Amino acid sequence: MQSICKLVLAIALSALPLLSQATLKVAATTQDLAAIAQELGGDRVEAISLTLGTRDPHYAEAKPSMIREVHDADLLLLVGADLEIGWLPPLLQAARNPRVLPGSAGYLDLSRTVPLLGVPSAPVARAMGDVHAQGNPHYWLNPANGLRMAQAIAARLAALDGAHAADYQARLTNFEQRLQAKITAWQAALAPLKGKPVIAYHDSFPYLADAFGLHIVAHVEPVPGIAPGPAHLQKLVARIKSEQVGLLIMEPYYERRSANYLAEQTGIKIAVLPQSVGSAPQIMTYFDLFDAIVAALQKAGAL
Amino acid sequence: MLTRFTRYSRAAAAACLLGYSGVLLADDAEAMQQRLQQLEQEIKALKQSISAMQDATQQQPHLPAPVSTAAPPGGHSPIQIGLSSLVTAGGSSVDNEALEGLQAGAHDPNRNGFTVQNVELTLSGAVDPYFDAQASLIFQIDAGGETKVELEEAFFTTRGLPAGLQVKGGQYFTEFGRHNQQHPHSWAFVDQPLVLSRLFGGDGLRSQGARISWLTPLPWYSELYVGAQNASGETATSFLYEKDKTVGGHTLLDRDARDLGDLLYSARWLNGVDLSDTVSMNLGLSGLRGPNASGLNTDTTIYGADLYLKWQPSHSQRGFPFVSWHSEVLERRYETPDAKLKDWGGFTQALWGFTPGWVVGLRMEYAEGSGGKAGYDISTDALRDNRTRLSPNLTWYPTEYSKLRLQYNRDWTEHLAEKDAHALWLQFEYSLGAHAAHTF
Repeated sequence: MQSICKLVLAIALSALPLLSQATLKVAATTQDLAAIAQELGGDRVEAISLTLGTRDPHYAEAKPSMIREVHDADLLLLVGADLEIGWLPPLLQAARNPRVLPGSAGYLDLSRTVPLLGVPSAPVARAMGDVHAQGNPHYWLNPANGLRMAQAIAARLAALDGAHAADYQARLTNFEQRLQAKITAWQAALAPLKGKPVIAYHDSFPYLADAFGLHIVAHVEPVPGIAPGPAHLQKLVARIKSEQVGLLIMEPYYERRSANYLAEQTGIKIAVLPQSVGSAPQIMTYFDLFDAIVAALQKAGAL
Repeated sequence: MLTRFTRYSRAAAAACLLGYSGVLLADDAEAMQQRLQQLEQEIKALKQSISAMQDATQQQPHLPAPVSTAAPPGGHSPIQIGLSSLVTAGGSSVDNEALEGLQAGAHDPNRNGFTVQNVELTLSGAVDPYFDAQASLIFQIDAGGETKVELEEAFFTTRGLPAGLQVKGGQYFTEFGRHNQQHPHSWAFVDQPLVLSRLFGGDGLRSQGARISWLTPLPWYSELYVGAQNASGETATSFLYEKDKTVGGHTLLDRDARDLGDLLYSARWLNGVDLSDTVSMNLGLSGLRGPNASGLNTDTTIYGADLYLKWQPSHSQRGFPFVSWHSEVLERRYETPDAKLKDWGGFTQALWGFTPGWVVGLRMEYAEGSGGKAGYDISTDALRDNRTRLSPNLTWYPTEYSKLRLQYNRDWTEHLAEKDAHALWLQFEYSLGAHAAHTF
């Protein structure tokens, strides 16, 4: 009995440092959000991502390890717009952490801080496929939205850790300056694509197109979330030829057969674009992400 | 609002009267005129500077619009409503009566022809800052064509207890093993595992009660559940089950709970770890103890262990490909006034999602029992004989909201004259409303 008491005491004591930690624990639903939070928080913040950048974040599962992370978090960052609808609600229920429940200071839905595209103007039915009723959730692919997200995250970090508000502000200013400079460079690099017709696999790139002036004329998926059949591919072949579409962009995790078929039939160039921080090992920051997108477009011969 | 408005207007009227009388008293209209002109000019200047500021904001390139960092109002809608419907068509080499013994789950397809297995209406949401709640109502059409309604679950959970604690109360599936808590629409096979139908009854083990769980501060996910529930009724068949039913040849008595010792106590320890970026594992141990109705002082004890492993490569589309492996083993000790009955069984099932939307599965099961009243022949008891079942299946998910499943069941069983049986089932599911949860 005594040894059991000692064990319980030892466990309780080992938990104490967790309670009195000096750094803010940030749990982000994607690596993009975690990377931005880490840049803004520096050594005051320990940011982790609940999902891998190599996977489609919509199809994640509420894994046990995530329950632990969310339970310990001081701040939860989410993409929102229903992207995490399948797994975040059960995860929040299992994690029993009132600091990060919706409405608390530790819950930050970043879709509320950017202007969303693709907000349906008429009622949505599931017969239309995976249409997000609140708008398209891939907004981090416009670097101007990266600025908005960074501002919101820095403000929230400052609110949670007022003693270091000035640190967060200084890091935000630095982040903004670097990003502004980069935006100018990316815009120059992608200038040849301005106004050019492009086909996208899934409806994931409206923000990227908006930021750099690409003109997405069609999608490989007939409706969002449904893989194309032969009839739809034939229509696309005709369209690519008649409208002289020279570029197909897609995320790494979709099947390549359809794109390869279109390339064989029409000679369209395929650019597999990283969609998130972490989608390739060398993409570790939000800046790396757009550098890698530019590099992928160059490699595909689109620039 | 109205009162505040009235108060303001009264104050304004008083101020006007005072001002007016002041002017009259001073009798200096000219000074007043000058003052008005002065104010007009000031307003003009202000307007100009405002429009200059607006122009400046519009001209600045790349600068995002001001951001509101306020917490979102409300967040999600106050109630999530979902309807899921499971229907099956198929047939077996045995007749309907024998089939009911083979497919002992209350939501198993158990008729040659069509079975409406489960139409489930689920409502869930946050009650207030302190509680979440959920209710699942099941509609079913029985063999006689009658519609049955069941309150499958209706419970609350706490949202913010300290120290990793959470209380759940109401009517709910006992947290024992992994499969028992799953609703029929999230099963990987068209029917529930044999051993669960045998030890927990057709509807699984659920009852009215409360449990507390503790998310321990251990560095991995480790959760302890302890609960107490009523031990009576057809959803607790190993315990205070109905009068005149028989278990192992013993006719059950009309035994009711007399004191706290007559409740059903449950405990579970669930651990979860990520073995790597691509493999995650859950390992659980569960135990139950409660009274049974074979005597006035007889108890039942059930133990179980469950293991779940899932692999998903780091590059995956819509959650595919994946391989998962789920195994459980359970043992029951059922005391009767003269002897102890022992039953055990287990299942192991593997799923392979080989391409987006397509899953192939294989389940192997075994169950057996021993012991019984003198003159009772266990080999004729559909719920205690030696039984082996093998079930391969193939499932196609057109989207997250529908599925089509074809399953073949091969049975080897003692209680049937034929000693074996074949069945083929085609199941269709659709769901409306709330997005289904992607639980691990």
